Amino acid sequence: MNAGMKQFSKEALARYDGKEGRPAYIACNGKVYDVSTSFLWQKGHHQVLHQAGVDLTEALKQAPHGEDLLERFPVVGTLKSD
Amino acid sequence: MAKVAREMVERAGVDVDQLVELLVKNAAAELTTYYYYTILRCNLIGLDGEGIKEIAEAARIEDRNHFEALVPRIYELGGQLPRDMKAFHDVSACPPAYLPEDLTDVNAILKVLVEAERCAVRGYTQICNMTAGKDHRTYDLALAILNEEIEHESWFSEFLGEGPSGHFLRRGDTSPFVSKFLK
Repeated sequence: MNAGMKQFSKEALARYDGKEGRPAYIACNGKVYDVSTSFLWQKGHHQVLHQAGVDLTEALKQAPHGEDLLERFPVVGTLKSD
Repeated sequence: MAKVAREMVERAGVDVDQLVELLVKNAAAELTTYYYYTILRCNLIGLDGEGIKEIAEAARIEDRNHFEALVPRIYELGGQLPRDMKAFHDVSACPPAYLPEDLTDVNAILKVLVEAERCAVRGYTQICNMTAGKDHRTYDLALAILNEEIEHESWFSEFLGEGPSGHFLRRGDTSPFVSKFLK
């Protein structure tokens, strides 16, 4: 992973919730993805069940798709571990 | 609304409002796919395109059937379709299956088709997972639709050279799994 990438705390990530025109970022396995352009993340909501601005690593384990779909979106940083 | 039917689903631990929203989103995906597949089918021409037209048509008609089959369950559970069709389009559970820029690129059209089917397979798998053992009627419906979406995916995947579908195309009637919900 690029060491020069922006690091997000969970609080900082939460500001990118896709609401009111804000970008929609999500985290998974330490990477932060910008999903703002996705039709499936309009207004920061995804398939009723998920909200942008959070770490979805655990949620993805229950999802009907893998992390490979996230690779379609730009990585904009890394998520700081607790 | 089927009051007791909804209550049974709630008592089984399903968030019914969430489920209804998902059903509406998937109904939107089916109807919009029916529309976009109409355009895709029209552009499947020439030596390469004509061979795919028949399965695109079967998938198109079956997606419309899925929409028709989903609607009663949405209302039974106390939901409704949006009043505005533009809003309905925009809440779709799957992205629009737009015609590629190069209308002569049959491979690109096939990729649009297979991506749409894969989105549907994911969506109905999610609904089956949410309702299994809890909401028998929605599960039965979602499973029937899932069976057909998986077949659509495998048809288009086969044409993309990803491997054999393992089964034959429709012979005659469409929607072998969903037709029981349409009677």
